[in-house]
Parts: sequence; C-alpha cells; structure tokens
Amino acid sequence: MSAPVRILTAVPICDGHDSAINTINLEFIRHGIEVVYLGFHRYAGDIVRAAIQEDVGAIGISSYNGGHVEFFAEVVRQLKKYNAADIKVFGGGGGTITHDDQRIMQRNGVDKIFFAGTSLGDMTQWVRQRYGTARKRSLGKSPDMKLARKLTEIEDSYAQRKRPRKKSAAKRHSLGKTRVLGFTGPGGAGKTTLIDEIVLRLLQREPKASVAILSHDPSVVGAGALLGDRATMINSQDDRVFMRSMATRGQAGGLSPATEDCLALLAQSDFDYVIIETVGTGQEAMPFQSKLIDQTVLVMNPDYGARLQLQKIVMLDLADIVVVNKSDLDRAKTAANEIERRLEGSKREQRLISTVAKRHRDRGVDKLCDLLMEKK
Amino acid sequence: MSKLGHVVEAVENYNRFVEDEVKRARSDKKFGRQMLERWDEIKRNIKIGTAPTGLKLPRLALPEIDEAGDITRYLLGEGLPGEFPYLSGAYREMYLEPWQEPKIELGSFEKNGRKKNGQNKNGHAENGASGLTKPKQAEEPTRLFSGLMLAEDTNKRFHFLSAHQRSKRLSTAFDGVTLYGIDSDADGVLGKIGEGGVAVDTVEDMMRLYDGFELGSPNFSASMTISGPAPIIMAMYIAAAKRRFGPEVVPNLRGTIQADIFKEVQAQNETIFPTEASLRFLGDMMEWTTRHMPRWYPVSISGYHIGEAGSTPVQQAAYTLSNGFAYAEMMAKRGLSADEFGPRLSFFLDCGLDVEYIALTRVSRRIWAIGMRDVFGAGPKAQLFKVHTQTSGRSLIAAEFRNNLTRTAAELMLAYMNGTNSSHSNSADEPFTTPSEEWIRLSAHSQAILLEESGIFKHVMNMLSGSPGMKAVERAVEAAILEEFRQIESLGGVMGAVENRYQRSQIQNAAHRYEEQIYNGTRPMIALNKYRNEHEEMPEFELARTPRAKQQLQVHRLQQFKKKNAKKAEQALEKLIGVVETDENCFPALMEAAEVCSLGQIVTRLQEVVGRFRPMV
Ligand code: B12
Repeated sequence: MSAPVRILTAVPICDGHDSAINTINLEFIRHGIEVVYLGFHRYAGDIVRAAIQEDVGAIGISSYNGGHVEFFAEVVRQLKKYNAADIKVFGGGGGTITHDDQRIMQRNGVDKIFFAGTSLGDMTQWVRQRYGTARKRSLGKSPDMKLARKLTEIEDSYAQRKRPRKKSAAKRHSLGKTRVLGFTGPGGAGKTTLIDEIVLRLLQREPKASVAILSHDPSVVGAGALLGDRATMINSQDDRVFMRSMATRGQAGGLSPATEDCLALLAQSDFDYVIIETVGTGQEAMPFQSKLIDQTVLVMNPDYGARLQLQKIVMLDLADIVVVNKSDLDRAKTAANEIERRLEGSKREQRLISTVAKRHRDRGVDKLCDLLMEKK
Repeated sequence: MSKLGHVVEAVENYNRFVEDEVKRARSDKKFGRQMLERWDEIKRNIKIGTAPTGLKLPRLALPEIDEAGDITRYLLGEGLPGEFPYLSGAYREMYLEPWQEPKIELGSFEKNGRKKNGQNKNGHAENGASGLTKPKQAEEPTRLFSGLMLAEDTNKRFHFLSAHQRSKRLSTAFDGVTLYGIDSDADGVLGKIGEGGVAVDTVEDMMRLYDGFELGSPNFSASMTISGPAPIIMAMYIAAAKRRFGPEVVPNLRGTIQADIFKEVQAQNETIFPTEASLRFLGDMMEWTTRHMPRWYPVSISGYHIGEAGSTPVQQAAYTLSNGFAYAEMMAKRGLSADEFGPRLSFFLDCGLDVEYIALTRVSRRIWAIGMRDVFGAGPKAQLFKVHTQTSGRSLIAAEFRNNLTRTAAELMLAYMNGTNSSHSNSADEPFTTPSEEWIRLSAHSQAILLEESGIFKHVMNMLSGSPGMKAVERAVEAAILEEFRQIESLGGVMGAVENRYQRSQIQNAAHRYEEQIYNGTRPMIALNKYRNEHEEMPEFELARTPRAKQQLQVHRLQQFKKKNAKKAEQALEKLIGVVETDENCFPALMEAAEVCSLGQIVTRLQEVVGRFRPMV
C-alpha cells in the first residue's frame, strides 16, 4: 500500500465562493485523497505556510471573485521564496478564468487550470495521477519544511508498512522545556475551537513562545480524509505555530498509527508547547497512552445524555483536566455538578473547568490556559 | 421550544382548521350557505377585461367549484390573491394591465365598490435589483445590480442606467474587500479592489457613489447588497445622506440593505464577527431603523445564496423562512411588536429550473403568513411575504452560453407564476464576468417580453395558479419544509442548527449531488452533457477589470482620509467600543464613527472586543 495523495485546498482572500471547492473536496476524499482544507477568504501567505507545514504535494485554489492572475502568481512566488517550488499549484474558477488568463498563469508557474464543464471524475483522476507518484523532494531549508518532511517520512513509512507497529518506546530527549498537552473528547464538544483559543492566549502571554499542533481527523471509507481543522483554527495560522493535520488512516481510538512517532519528533523539536488533538472519541476511548504527554484534557459537551453515561466514560478517570465546554447551554450547570460528583471518587487530583470557547475572551478559557501553563 | 416549533404547530393547526371548516360547510347548513353566498359575491365582482384580440376574459380566475366544502377549502386554504394565507398572491392585481373602464357599463361592476382601479401595490420595488412587477409604459426595466471599480465609476453607471427613469432604484454591488470589511490599503488585497463590485472604504466614497441622486426623495431608493459589515455600511450611508441633505433626510430614506447574517454563516461566507455579535449589531441596526427610518428595509432575508450554494429548493425555502422567523423572534425580544417590525422584513429568493420552483414562493408566502399571524400575532401588513426573486446564476453555464437566455426566461416565468413582487433576471454571460451591457439589456428585455408583450400575465390574475399538478407540488413542498423545520427545531432552533453546521452540511451534500448528477448524466444540461457541440470554443469576453492605477487611487484616497481624521477617529472608536461593552444599542455610536472612520478601522476595533468570525467548513 502506498501513501495517500495529500493536497491542500483553499479559496483566496475576499472570496467566499466555496461551493465548488466543497464539492471537489468531497469528491477527492471519496477517491482516496487526503485534503487539508484551509477554507475561504485566505491570504496567499496563510496558504503557503499551511502547504509547507502540511507538506502537501499540491495546492488547489478555487477562485471566483477576480484577481486570480495576481493571486495564483503570489502563491507561486512565495512557494519559490521558501524553496518549496516542488509543491505544485492548480485550480479553477468556473468561467471567470479565461483561456487567456490560463496562458498567463501557466507562464507564471501554475500547473493546471480546470475550466467550467470539467467533470468531477476527470479532475480527480488527473490529481491522483499527477500528484500521486512519489516526487523527488528537496529536504528543505527552513525549519518548518525540514520538520514537515520528516513527519511525512514517518507517516508514509507507516502507510507502506515499513515500520513494525511497535508500542512506542520513545523517550523524551529534551526534558523540561516542551510541554505536551493532549486534548480529547466526543465529537461536537468544541475541542478545535478550545485549542485555538488556548493557542491565541499562549501566543499573547508568551511573546516568544512557539506552539506545535498535531490535529486528527477521521479517514473515510475509500481512505481519503477531509482535514478541516485549519479552516476553523484562525488563531493558529501564525508564523509561531506549526500545525500538522493527520488522518487516522484506518486506526480506531482517535489517533493515527504514526501519531506516537510524530509526537516524539515534535516533542524533541524546539517548541514550547505541543498540542495534540484526537478525533471525536467514544466512551471507552483512552487515546493517550503515550508517556510523552504531560497533561491530558477531556473536553465534554453538556449534552452527554443521562447521568449514567458518565460512568462509562473512561477518560473521566484518566484526564488531568475535565472541561465542560458550551457552558452557556441550559444543561451546563447540571452537567458540571454531575461530573464533579463523578470525579469525587477519583484518587488522583483532577480539575474541572467550565468554558464557553466560542465566546471571545472567555474567562473559563483563561483559567484553563493558566492551568496548562503552570509549571509543575 | 423555539418559535420555529410553534410555527410548525401553527401550520399543522391551520391545515386541520381548514379541513374542519370544510366538514362544517358540508354539515352545517347555515355555514355552508354563507360560503356559497360569499362565493357568488366574489364571482359577481369579477371584472371582465379585453385582450388586444378582442377576447373577453375575467380579470380574476377561480376554480370551477360550486360545492360549499370545496369553496371553503379554496378560500381558507389558498385565499384569493391578496387574502390570507396568500398562497395565490400577496396582492390583488399585481401584473395586470391597468383597468380601463369599459365604454358600456356592465351592471355587475357597479357593486364592486372599488374606486381605485388598476392599483398596483408594488410591495417591494425597493428590494428590487431590477424589474418592477408593474409593466411601465415609458420605462425600461433596467434596474440592475451594478457595482464596478471605484465609486465614481459606479456612479456613472447608475446615471446611465437610470437616465430615463422617473423613479430611480439603484442596486449596489460591493467588491470583495468591502464585503469582508477590509480597508483597501490593507496588505494582500491590491488586485481585488473594485473587482466584482464597487470599492467603498469611507463616507466620502459613499458620497461619490450616489452623487447627483436625490436621497430621501420618494422617487429614489437604494439597495445595498452587503451583509457582514452591513450595520457599518448602513451607518455610512446615513452619514453621507446627512452631509448632503441635512439630518432631516433620515426618516425619508428609502431602500434595502441585505444584512441577513444567518445566510452568510450558512451559505455566502461573508461573516466578519462571531455569529452572536453579528446578530447583535444587526439587531441594533434593525431596531434603530425600524424606529427612525420607517421607509427602510433593514434586512433582506435571503434564500438566494443558499440556493446558489447548491441547496435543494426545499432547503432554500426552509432555511430562509426559519431564518426569517428567528429574526422575528429577535425583534420581538427587543420589545417591538410584529406590526412594527413585520412590514420592514422582506425576502429574496432564487428561482431555478427544478420542479419545486413552480410553487416554492407560493408555499413560502403561506407558511410565513400563518406563522406571523398565529405565532407572532401579526396583522395583515406584517403577514405579507414580500419577495424579490432572482433567476439562478448557477443554472447558467459556459457551454454554448447563449442558451442561458432561454434558461433565464423559463426561470423568470416560474417566478412570475409564483407572483414575485420584483425580479432580477441574470445575463447570459453570467458564468464569465460582471455582465456586459449587451447581455444586461437582453435579460432586462426578457422581463418586459413576459410581462408586457405576452398576454400570459397581464389579463388574468391567478392565470397559472391552482392546477392539479401545481397543487400536488405545493403539498409535497410544504410537507418537506415543515420536516426541515422539525429537524432544525430538534437541534435547538436556527442558532443551534447553525452551530451544529446543520444547514451547511445539508447544502454541501446537495451541491455535491447536483454536480454528480450533471456528470453522470442523470441531470440533463443541454450542450454540456447532452447535445454537446464538440467543436465549441470558449468565447472570449472583454472582462471588467479594475486598472491598477485606479486601485492605487483608492488606496491613496483612503490614506488621506485616515490622516485627516486620525484624532477624531480615535475618539469615535473609543466611544463606540464603550457602548459595545454595555448592552445598549450601539447603532447611534456607529453612525458617529462612520463620519470619521474607515470601514476597516471600525471592523478591526470591534473585532478586538467581540472577536473574529470563526469559519465553519
Ligand atoms: C454560486 C455563485 C455564488 C454563490 C456562492 C455560494 C458559495 N458558498 O459558493 C453566492 C450567491 C453566495 C455568490 C455571491 C457572490 N458572487 Co457569485 N457566483 C456564483 C456562480 C453562479 C456559480 C459558481 C459555482 O459555484 N459554480 C459551480 C462549480 C462547481 O462549477 P464551475 O464554476 O463551473 O467550476 C468548475 C471548474 O472550474 C472546476 N473548479 C472550480 N474551482 C476549482 C478548484 C479546484 C482546485 C479544481 C481542481 C477545480 C475547480 O470545478 C467545476 C466543475 O467543473 C457564478 C456564475 C457562474 N454561473 O459560474 C457567480 C460569480 C462567480 N459570482 C460573482 C460575484 C461578483 C459574486 C459577488 C461578489 C456578488 C456581490 N457583489 O455581492 C458575491 C460574493 C460572494 C463571496 N462571499 O465572495 C461573479 C464573479 C465575477 C468576476 N470574477 O468577474 C460571477 C462570475 C457571476 C457574475 N457574472 O457576476 N455567488
């Protein structure tokens, strides 16, 4: 088995026409492609940074509001600037991109433009063929790119089953400096938003700190995956943040087979914080077996159902911090009380915090951030 | 339960009520007789008009029924045009030719009692991007959506388009930079300035944009297609109007601003503040204009973008109506009565070629009326679903693009069958660029051909309504919309569903299916997947693009403005955020800020307080 094709898609700045790219993303992931989706209204710089960190084979841009000649050229220019010209740029914009435009764009280094009327099948096939074969890649000059390419090597080696699936024996190299934080919880609890708010605070409170994020999304049948966390994590699109989106690639439990090794690599790199986010997990899940993780956070939605459900949630015994997010919901008070009772039985020291992550400058999130920054 | 749940119940109750009344008409002799008498009177009062060929026709068409139960079902279930629940039409005469008193008096007409003949209550021309419903004599219905390059360029286009019109109804498109609340001098937006719409950064641009037009006159109305930063743009419009005509002008301002934030989060993607904060700013503006600008439509509740993003017709109607009810709930919470805010709400729908469009607006009108009356306690004026319809841009394709004329004409016809209050027909060059004058003219003419030249709509109200097929579609569509309402309600109402990505994921799945159907051939698209001309070449258009020098001029002007107002701007912004931190209405402070601050300055400062919008995939 070879590693899936990985691409990044986005819509340019001041453009919200995302219908085409949403459709194309869905089509791609059903045909085995891993798509990191950055969302609409994106600056060229954000696209290039993300593409390098995610180490994708190509960037697909869907542009409708004009200015495509300049925008595509800017993306290509920045890729060159970072020595990442092996990441190809392609895209479309229905009838708004003319044949004349396309000629200019190709001269500027754009790989391919898809015109109105191209079938989804043709596009998918083209992408798989063109970006599917392993490329010869420079190792990269910038630290981001070096790290990104090593992560790809790890992921790909698991995909090609070159590595034995051993339980990790990874040890922490650089003790002390890096704090590794694990976030997990059921789908819809608001983990992604919460992490992004934490990142915002970390960056503000420690003007020199750097953060790495390892975020997971499930692979679908057909082996593709839509890795969409970047679209939501607006504060994490920053030069001081290194973010990597991983697909679970068939592994249950919330993480990918390659996670442990990737995490080890990140923990040894020079970050102040490394944050790992699982996919939405079930009640029995206990994704964080790794010794690398300093602190684990379970993010709960107040709407977990009947109180009895709490007994079954294994992570409630294991998490260092339990967060009841969306605590503006009616049920939140009751939920916090019920969870508190559930934690009382525990022998370990566990903390319970209520947050409303979607609220700007939420005090609960401030408190959570304090806890996470506390040096032990 | 949110109000939406109550709306579902209200519609179900109303349908049950109608059937109960039908039974009563059949069993209760007295009631049955009353209904028959009413029916007779309606029939007696129908005027007979004459087609150009000499054919005599009734101006109102009724179903051929004479049994009390059937009559009851028709009158209560559908209503005559202009009568609750407004399935047949929001108003009586709508597209009809003005009534000419016949030379020989016919006895039955005298009893009619209506003095003002041929009145045309155009409920909604303000919202109109283009044609009025009323066939006008000396005017060409070229009220088209326009916006290009800088304010003075659009202003020139406006004067060109409205030169021959007595009443000037301008519809403004903004460029992407403005739509996202960004200043033209921000990093990374050069190249986007003036593309797809007009660039507006300051009150001075706003003054240039409408220069030479009589804001505040009954013959002028402005429509502004902008939502994310709508309250700020509205404040700028008011500031510009005041500078030119003094503060007295404010209550006389007429027009519409799109402002609908729910559909931005669901479909158009131009939200700049978190949803709740956006709703607060919108609510503040709506409340203020409802109280102080009685002729202004502060929100155009839009299904268009939902439809164009690829939703099914039922999803479009369901999400639009539910968004509308959510706004109504929001205004009611602010202490306004339905009769105050109801008449200021208007709608904007998409019309494509799918079969649902035969009746989508009709059904929407009915659901809205029942919900507003029975859940919000609205009187007749506040029950009306006043709607502007635009033909579908997405149905227009590049392959043999001239076919788009036919598609648009067919859609327009469907829109008129639904009794839209005003309409905009897309140009055939839609897939390529901002429409050129040649194609704009043709699309405008398609409206005139249908309404004025053809006899389809001008002789008989209700001409194409009420066929068995149409009724079948109506019933199926209504049931499907209510089912969508229940889904939304089960997720906690509109806001809960939005946060769950419900509408977005439904729309995306529908969009994917639509494209899939095109390319697997199950959805015929002529000249694309059927009857394709393999030798066709892509046409080359002259594209409307903004020269770099103009973009730089815009940047330069903005920087001058900022320099000039630096001190005052800071004070105004301080004051603004002071109010925003409380729960007072911040629109007055916003109007002050709009005098001296740029759009981007206001947005950035507000974002520091309320945060930025976090997009959803
Ligand atoms: C749908 C649509 C909208 C919807 C968008 C909903 C959404 N969430 O996407 C709504 C109604 C919200 C909208 C709004 C606006 N729109 Co619009 N819109 C369209 C429309 C009708 C169709 C575009 C579309 O999605 N087609 C469906 C896709 C699947 O097919 P396609 O375009 O043919 O693309 C094919 C290929 O090119 C390829 N492809 C496309 N992208 C990519 C990317 C990759 C990576 C790949 C591999 C392939 C690929 O895939 C497709 C399959 O073959 C076009 C006109 C038209 N008929 O094309 C105008 C159009 C793009 N819009 C336009 C404008 C101006 C606007 C507004 C700015 C108007 C305004 N001033 O308010 C706003 C801005 C919205 C925003 N937030 O940015 C203009 C752009 C003009 C220009 N560039 O010169 C157009 C051309 C209409 C016009 N003639 O005026 N719009």
